[in-house]
Amino acid sequence: MKIDTLFIDKDLPLTFEIDYLISKLKTVPQWIDDPSSVYNFITAADDPISKAKKTLYITRNKGAVIRECPGTSYYTCCDYTILHAGTFCTMDCSYCILQAYFHPPVLQYFAGLETLGHTLEKMFSKNKIFRIGTGEYTDSLIWEKVSLLPEFLVNTFARQNNCLLELKTKTVNIESLLSLDHNGKTVIAWSLNTPDVIRSEEKGTASLTARLEAARIAESNGYRLAFHFDPLVIYPDCARHYKTVIQQIFEYVRPESIVWISIGTFRFMPKLKQIIEKRFNRSTICYGEFILGLDNKMRYFKPLRIALYKEIISCIKEYAPDLMVYFCMEDQEVWEKCMGFFPKKEGELGRLLDKSAVTHCHLNSRLL
Amino acid sequence: MFNSPCEILLSDIDLTDDRYQMSFEETSVAFLARSIKETGLMCPPLVRPTNNKCIIISGFNRIRAQLYNNETKIIVNQTPPDTSDYRCLLHAITALAFQRPLTHAELIRCTGRLSFFLEKEQIVQKSPAIFNTELNARFVEDLITIGALPDPALALIHLGNLTLNTAKKISVCETGMINIFLKIFSQIKASSSKQLEIIQYIMEIVARDAIDPTNFFNAKEIQALLFDENTAPGIKTTLLRTYLFERRFPTIFKTHQRVQEKISALKLGGNIKFLPPENFEGQYYGISFKAKRYDEFAATVQTLHTALSNPALKDIFHP
Ligand code: SF4
Repeated sequence: MKIDTLFIDKDLPLTFEIDYLISKLKTVPQWIDDPSSVYNFITAADDPISKAKKTLYITRNKGAVIRECPGTSYYTCCDYTILHAGTFCTMDCSYCILQAYFHPPVLQYFAGLETLGHTLEKMFSKNKIFRIGTGEYTDSLIWEKVSLLPEFLVNTFARQNNCLLELKTKTVNIESLLSLDHNGKTVIAWSLNTPDVIRSEEKGTASLTARLEAARIAESNGYRLAFHFDPLVIYPDCARHYKTVIQQIFEYVRPESIVWISIGTFRFMPKLKQIIEKRFNRSTICYGEFILGLDNKMRYFKPLRIALYKEIISCIKEYAPDLMVYFCMEDQEVWEKCMGFFPKKEGELGRLLDKSAVTHCHLNSRLL
Repeated sequence: MFNSPCEILLSDIDLTDDRYQMSFEETSVAFLARSIKETGLMCPPLVRPTNNKCIIISGFNRIRAQLYNNETKIIVNQTPPDTSDYRCLLHAITALAFQRPLTHAELIRCTGRLSFFLEKEQIVQKSPAIFNTELNARFVEDLITIGALPDPALALIHLGNLTLNTAKKISVCETGMINIFLKIFSQIKASSSKQLEIIQYIMEIVARDAIDPTNFFNAKEIQALLFDENTAPGIKTTLLRTYLFERRFPTIFKTHQRVQEKISALKLGGNIKFLPPENFEGQYYGISFKAKRYDEFAATVQTLHTALSNPALKDIFHP
């Protein structure tokens, strides 16, 4: 998607990083004193969400750069660490939670590689394994073609051994990363779905085969990989379609290169439904059998979730029996019925994932 | 403003022309007729003379009452012949609105007619003078939108079969869908929230299953349920909601039904409440009962104890 309006904070020093962005974006920047100019510009549009996807605001991160993943008490969380490098996204998935998360949504790029570097150095000096990702409030690689950030992150993480960097994406923007000496510390992760769901719900994203082809290329350049089946969408014959996707994964890449696969069915804040109905009037994604979950999000009826998870897990295990597969935000019953165990103790799931990170990315095993 | 009252023949009034009738009330005029007979006509109706007949602007019931009394003449106020249509409309609305608050259906009819002459903002601004109350811009807009619905809508609103919220909701649908909803609401009686639920389920089912709404409506289950003359509208509502829930949430419906059957098979009696987790999302089943005396308590515990050996209980926990 093309950026047609570019706002930049007036007080940002014109560093090489920003210069580089401007030259690549080929959009005349508007230097602003006050972020309200951006908010007003976006909210004045008929469809602020679509407008925000074409309006980039380069600013500095005024909040925390490193954040804990916001888990809930009832559903088991994986203790992930978020590197807050930007917000919102240029692609347009119907189910994207970010549409309802920001008021108004603003496509922000947080400039300041130096500050980011200092923050990361602090993480690298801790005696703890961290799994750090940038793909929580945005897609990790949307700016790869125009920004130095992905390259900077891969190079920075390459020089330490207690942190794994996960770049989660639905793009195939990996070109600038291929020649880097990543030292195995970066995991490039793709969110996958069935071709039907990609076609109907993931506007502007790469096709399934393009994502898998990119994964194959990343693997051949020594990168570790991860896949996220999140959101799984339940529709007639979906289990068969998801199994075909799983089969395809292992046709493209070796199980040994995969650090983990996460799975999670579609869940959404109730207010997202209205947004989807308004912006994607052909989408039927919200018309599944949803109930209000204990975290106040709509979730598929549990027996339906369990049935699909069981099929997917057994299919993955057929190809890769030892692969770390985990649920994103599921409860004890689902874990036990589908995986045969439940990481009950606080932080237990996190430790299992840390172990996989240590093994695949050669992190310091003494920190486990 | 008006010409002085004069007596005209009732046969000179065009009773079929109801363009200025804003009221929906079809009350009996028997009492009014008696009152006029005893005390006379206190306030003459207002009519608009045209080439050969007069059109009623206000006083429809008074004119009907005179006819009821078998009178041939009536005293009326007449507008000057050059009075504009807009002026006549204002007279018609204010005559009613300053007598009693207008119903929703009347407000819709009035704003609809006024919107031929005034912009929405002008209606809002003039509302205290016309409607005897202040109407806000959003409400006026809603009234005008709802007023554009096909004919039966207004009658259904008047009868209480269609709420303003529901009417507003369906006003954004395609005409075919609107007509289906109007047919449905003409057959049932439901609160606003239930009406909205019915609309939501139908829209979601037809979208999800890619069904033509007309085919959905013409399905024999829906037809049988809606047009059964022996079923009261309230019962039809319950049956329709159950049917729609089953279509919209088939697995949830079946699971609830299956667990309910198992709970019944436990024969716990009316005093013990066995509660599955809400929506089967949580993992805790609950049980509650009341007892006033020890023997009551013991008997209930005994019932529970007996249920332990019932295979239905295990089935509930391990489906
Ligand atoms: S790729 Fe991710 S962040 Fe971007 S729109 Fe889709 S779900 Fe949202």
